[in-house]
Amino acid sequence: MVDMTAHQGGGGSELFSRGFGLAFPFLVAIAVSALMLLLIGENPFDIFTLMANEGFGSQRRISATLSAATPLLFTGVATAVCFRSGVFNVGVEGAFVLGGLAAAFIGFTAPAEWGAMIILPAFLFAMIVGAFWLYVPGVLLARLDVDEVVSTLMLNFVAFGISGYLVNGPLLSESSGNNVTPLVHEAAQLGRLLPPSTLHAGFFLGLFCLAAYAFWTRRTADGFEAELVGLNQRFSRAVGISIPSVIIMVMLLSGIVSGLGGASHALGQLHRFSEGFSPGYGFTGMAVALLGRNNAFGILFGAVLFGALASAGTTVQLFSDIPLDLVNIIEGTVMIFAVVELGRITLFRRRRAT
Amino acid sequence: MIIEQVIAASLIMTTPILLAAIGGLVNRQAGIVNIALDAKMLAGAFVAVVVSSATGGWFVAVLAAALCGAAIGYLFSLVITRAKANMIVAGLGLNVLVAGFLGFILNWFYNSSGTLRLPGVHLLPHVFPESSGNVPVIGGALADLDPLTLFAWGSVLALPWLLANTRLGLRLRAAGNAPQVARAVGLSEKSLQDFGTAFAGFFSGLAGAHLALASIGLFNEGLTAGRGFIALAAFYFGRNRPVTTALVCLLFGFLDAAQIRMQTAGLPPKLIGTIPYLMVLVALCLAGWRNRDRKAMAQ
Repeated sequence: MVDMTAHQGGGGSELFSRGFGLAFPFLVAIAVSALMLLLIGENPFDIFTLMANEGFGSQRRISATLSAATPLLFTGVATAVCFRSGVFNVGVEGAFVLGGLAAAFIGFTAPAEWGAMIILPAFLFAMIVGAFWLYVPGVLLARLDVDEVVSTLMLNFVAFGISGYLVNGPLLSESSGNNVTPLVHEAAQLGRLLPPSTLHAGFFLGLFCLAAYAFWTRRTADGFEAELVGLNQRFSRAVGISIPSVIIMVMLLSGIVSGLGGASHALGQLHRFSEGFSPGYGFTGMAVALLGRNNAFGILFGAVLFGALASAGTTVQLFSDIPLDLVNIIEGTVMIFAVVELGRITLFRRRRAT
Repeated sequence: MIIEQVIAASLIMTTPILLAAIGGLVNRQAGIVNIALDAKMLAGAFVAVVVSSATGGWFVAVLAAALCGAAIGYLFSLVITRAKANMIVAGLGLNVLVAGFLGFILNWFYNSSGTLRLPGVHLLPHVFPESSGNVPVIGGALADLDPLTLFAWGSVLALPWLLANTRLGLRLRAAGNAPQVARAVGLSEKSLQDFGTAFAGFFSGLAGAHLALASIGLFNEGLTAGRGFIALAAFYFGRNRPVTTALVCLLFGFLDAAQIRMQTAGLPPKLIGTIPYLMVLVALCLAGWRNRDRKAMAQ
């Protein structure tokens, strides 16, 4: 079935084209950024070596990389769940932000006597908020055929507006500055794994989500049906799969994972919610899912790669004056060229039902 | 007096949204949803500031911004039409890429993080003499009127005719609405779509130039503040009709202008800022509802 849609052009063996497909967007991104570095008279090889070293050179640096990769594990999975069914959900960012706000809210309002138990309702609330946030565009798509790209894109801005209002108004911390909520209770903070670094227990939750995603895609009937819908809607309908239910299911799953990601970032990393809570984790998550071809190992690889870029980018800016924006150049190029390939291989825009 | 100020401010705030929306609308008529209007606006704003400072002329700056936008749009289009990239993801990627690219240049060549302030930047001139400010009610708007605003509204009025009666307009719409037909009569729908995307880039570049040169005369990384997406919202809400879209833009421009005043009146500006997006959601739902009912009736 896959092969039917796989090749419209280009030969070579399946395995080769897959391997090349994985590396291709990243190679282009490396080429583009190398060009930028040459343009400013730096030796790209030196800079890339420095970045690799800063990303993976020692235990401390690896834990910084994994810490930066943690939110991307969640947003990568949340994006992939939808993309593999052909549902173009670009609203992970909004659900992530609101999930984080929800968890932080429970984290500082719940009575401190609950101790570490606060973490449970905090995660639960974040899951509910995230699920609800993406349920809305899911239902709109499934029942009214409302274009999910536009609806989720618009909902992102609504989420930014709502969270920006709350964090500057009703939930503003009295003690410290502006744009931040109070800190969550100490007991509600997720444990740090390797103390000087910010790597926290949320990383394991991210790995768990990834494993659950892998299980869901490979071992469950729902996951299989969701993939079929992504491959061929007419066929799926013909064999009796309810496409509206699949759409709603993947949007709910995406919302839950996004919410969990926001909660983990709020309780583990920042210990509060602040404006600018997410520097585009949802969008980087798209790059991660695309680079990883919606495959669990691919997502892990993509998340660690972008985590390394983010953490190395900061230090490289510090030591060599190379602007941190280089990371954005790489990310944008990866996104563009990941779909250049995908356009040929799997991810087709769903044909609308008539 | 306050009404006069609000009208003037709304009109100024509308122009960049309107210019970008015109571009996006034509692009969508040709079959491409352009989600990277914001990137081209940002690039246009940057180029406008740099060129205006270097040459001391506003017209050259505006033209350079538009051409830069068109060039980016054309390349972007090639990725979509020739390399078959998904237009949504590629668009979001372009937004990230252009922002990163500009940030990089800003940081390295101008040694500044985020803001570019150059000497000798020429702002857009006013079309009417100062004395036009004495006209009641719309005086403020008249006195502030700049050539780009005039051009934007002129385009809105010309566009319905251009799309319905010229060869190019009809072909563009054919490329979007009936690509098979376009191909059957020997048109290259891909080239037409490339033209449409370059056109959108041209107008987004103008929009960026207006943002940078209308009053502030500098470039900032956050200058567009998501206006490319507001423009997207506008032509979705205006259902691709030029005049309706323009009126929606005017409403969004008014909200943009009113935000500043509402802040002083104690209304939360962040929540007001979500209105355009919520409006689009409602409009999409209503359209979906109508289509479903129509389908149900037909059965």
